[in-house]
Amino acid sequence: MKKIQYYISALLLVAVAALSLSSCSKEKLGPTIFPDVDETLDPNSYSYQLDKFLKENYLDKYNLTFLYKMPDISTNMNYNLVPAKYENAVDLAVLCKFLWFDVYDKIAGPDFLKLYGPRILLMVGSPALNPSSGSETVGLAEGGVKITLFKLNSMNVNSFEMMNDLYFHTMHHEFAHILHQTKTYPPEFNTISVGKYDATNWTGRGWEVTSVGFLTPYASSEYREDFAETIACFITYTQEDWDFYLSLAARGWETDAAEDATDAVYYSFYYYPNNDSEQEKKPVYLADEKNIAKVTVDGTVHTYWKNERDKDGNRIEVYAVEDKDGIEGDKAILQKVDIARQWFRDAWGVDLDALRQEVQDRQKEYNMDVLRKWVYDIH
Amino acid sequence: MNEDKMKKFLNISLLTLTVLSTLSLASCKNEVDNIFDEDAIIRLDKAKAEYMDILTSNGGRWQLEYFANEEEQGYIYLMTFAKDGSVKISGHNKWINQVLVGNSNTSAFGSEVSMWEVIADNGPVLTFNTYNRFFHLFADPYDIPSQSSAQASTDVNESGYGHAGNYEFDIMKYSGDTLYLTGKKPTQTERYLNMIMTRVKSSAEDEVYMNEVVAMTDSFFNSKVNQVYINLPNGVRWIVKNGATSILKMFREDADEISTSETHNIIITHDGLSFMDPVTLDGYVIKNFIRQPDGSLLCRDDNQTTMTADVLSNIFSNKSFIWKGELNNMGGVFADMLNTITAELKAYNKSTLNFAQIAYESNENDNTGSFIVSFNIKKGSVKYNPGYYVTIEKVNDNQVRFTVAPQGNSYGELYAKNCPTIRQFVDTFAATAYDLKANSLLAPVRMTMSQSGSAGNYIIWDLQ
Repeated sequence: MKKIQYYISALLLVAVAALSLSSCSKEKLGPTIFPDVDETLDPNSYSYQLDKFLKENYLDKYNLTFLYKMPDISTNMNYNLVPAKYENAVDLAVLCKFLWFDVYDKIAGPDFLKLYGPRILLMVGSPALNPSSGSETVGLAEGGVKITLFKLNSMNVNSFEMMNDLYFHTMHHEFAHILHQTKTYPPEFNTISVGKYDATNWTGRGWEVTSVGFLTPYASSEYREDFAETIACFITYTQEDWDFYLSLAARGWETDAAEDATDAVYYSFYYYPNNDSEQEKKPVYLADEKNIAKVTVDGTVHTYWKNERDKDGNRIEVYAVEDKDGIEGDKAILQKVDIARQWFRDAWGVDLDALRQEVQDRQKEYNMDVLRKWVYDIH
Repeated sequence: MNEDKMKKFLNISLLTLTVLSTLSLASCKNEVDNIFDEDAIIRLDKAKAEYMDILTSNGGRWQLEYFANEEEQGYIYLMTFAKDGSVKISGHNKWINQVLVGNSNTSAFGSEVSMWEVIADNGPVLTFNTYNRFFHLFADPYDIPSQSSAQASTDVNESGYGHAGNYEFDIMKYSGDTLYLTGKKPTQTERYLNMIMTRVKSSAEDEVYMNEVVAMTDSFFNSKVNQVYINLPNGVRWIVKNGATSILKMFREDADEISTSETHNIIITHDGLSFMDPVTLDGYVIKNFIRQPDGSLLCRDDNQTTMTADVLSNIFSNKSFIWKGELNNMGGVFADMLNTITAELKAYNKSTLNFAQIAYESNENDNTGSFIVSFNIKKGSVKYNPGYYVTIEKVNDNQVRFTVAPQGNSYGELYAKNCPTIRQFVDTFAATAYDLKANSLLAPVRMTMSQSGSAGNYIIWDLQ
């Protein structure tokens, strides 16, 4: 009997302990502590027109939040950044739709950006300046979700070159990142310019990078940037610009400085004072602030300099630098475009050439007064 | 096991059971007591709504005392908050002039509408979330342009930082129509700057209001008065220099300037001035000063400490100052004598009197000197300055007495002979003591010198 009491006590002890412990895991969740948020737009709001445009054209359609009222917490706090001007946010909102979202809707289908497009577009008024490196970030893509565009406050919608450089190029560049982060691109792309990338010193490079197969100095920083730059440049460069960069890529480049010098200045043409080949050759710089030669697309710089004289009165003849790097830069670039073209077709079912053509057509024809009406005609 | 042992076992078991159950039950209570009536998100939402209501009510007009960083002076911004999410921001400073015309040599008024919101972060945050070119200029990361060509050569490249100012502010509290804010982003020295925003009841146009602030700036610190004083309740004075820059250099009057001076930045408001941080001088903590009718500043924190220039008799007899007396700024016997002098000059050589002047004239040869009362007389295109030497005796803080030397300079003697009232004018100085009254005790750039007991006989002197 006493043994039975002993066992009962022990059993009771275990049972109570088990029940006590298990009771902690069965707590029910209460109702949410977050209050219902009224998403209705206030027609009396100062920003009602833009907010309504963004809701209808981005949020409802693509589940994309177009952040133009900059919350500092959404940015990298290591940078000193300022919000965008409201009017500039309006301009970029309509341009993004016209030159990016509508393009993909037309060429890749209406669901493409719904599936793969970014979920947040953040507008920032200033550039992201890095004081230590002196570099400037003009766009960021984070985790395939968010794209940040900078320098809205200094944008000039009347300067197509500036808009292309800062935004359209950046948009396609960052979106290319989102796409390749979703479906990786063929690894053979990384082999084309292997050994020529420099993640640290690319900022000191100039247009001589074309000679080894990069469309921009930034493309020479690493494989993924090269891939995104190749796509962005191919889509946004006008045919004239595209041909020009290919012509740069086909040229020889020289520098008087050591090749690894960060301040090395490269040149692709030189001239002899008095047309005397015995005299010291002088470089003709390209894409330099102190540019003394404008080289035409087909390389007919001699014609350009005919009858020109230098500051000492010497007649100038210009001669091409011999291409001795062993790399056919233009062919390398075209090879990269081919890989991107094939990847777009196979991975995404998108015709990159058609995409490019659509962007080119729209770049030529956009009219800001008409586009702004999308917002300012909202009542 | 015997019966006693069994009982003992059962007792221990029950005790263990009780303790275990108690502990087990207690372990389920894994939240701290809720000391608030509502959840944090509800309270935060209410705080947002409350602050938005505070900001937009009663006209929604506020004055922000803005400090971008610890190195610069503060600037006043006038803000009018609207319920539609817009805010009109007005200011008047040199950086606005930089935005408008490309140089920061002078101050300019600027006003622009942008947007605002109270958002939730760790607490309610007031954010100005679309760009306002007259306000966000302090947060722009661009290099700060040099203010002069001389400065350009030593200019620091601030690219990436700019002024490093805030445009998002944690709202700390609201009390007495004042919002206490803290910049959300720290300075380069990892400090979070506190600022206040006070409700503005004035209905004056923004530009008029801001012009009044600028006028206040000029009335406090005039570049002609090179130093002023903080007068502590214990009688100790601290010298204040560089007031016109709003970055004050301060040191105790009896201490060494070079080794003991400290620098404090201030902001000049619509009714006084405030230091960015409280300053402790000889145990007295000062921060906010309010302008008094006599032009001095009274510390609002202790209602005793004042800020003034030196006593008027010292100011008037300062050897580095030049005082100019315009003809139409003289009254009584002095005005009468001017008429006579004018007639005498015309009769003597058809010359005319332009103004009178008191200045200290040094003798470079023996390192001595004297004050001299002179007259600017013009004959044709030639100017003459007959002068008469005086000594100025300080009778008390606000009173001086003159002694006139018997002989003047060479032109003084010449004109005394041919226009005797000129000499008489100066001799009148020596007849009595003179009361001094300044336009402002802090920036005494205009001094009324009137005969003690005969206030109608006066000369108003302007500091050059």
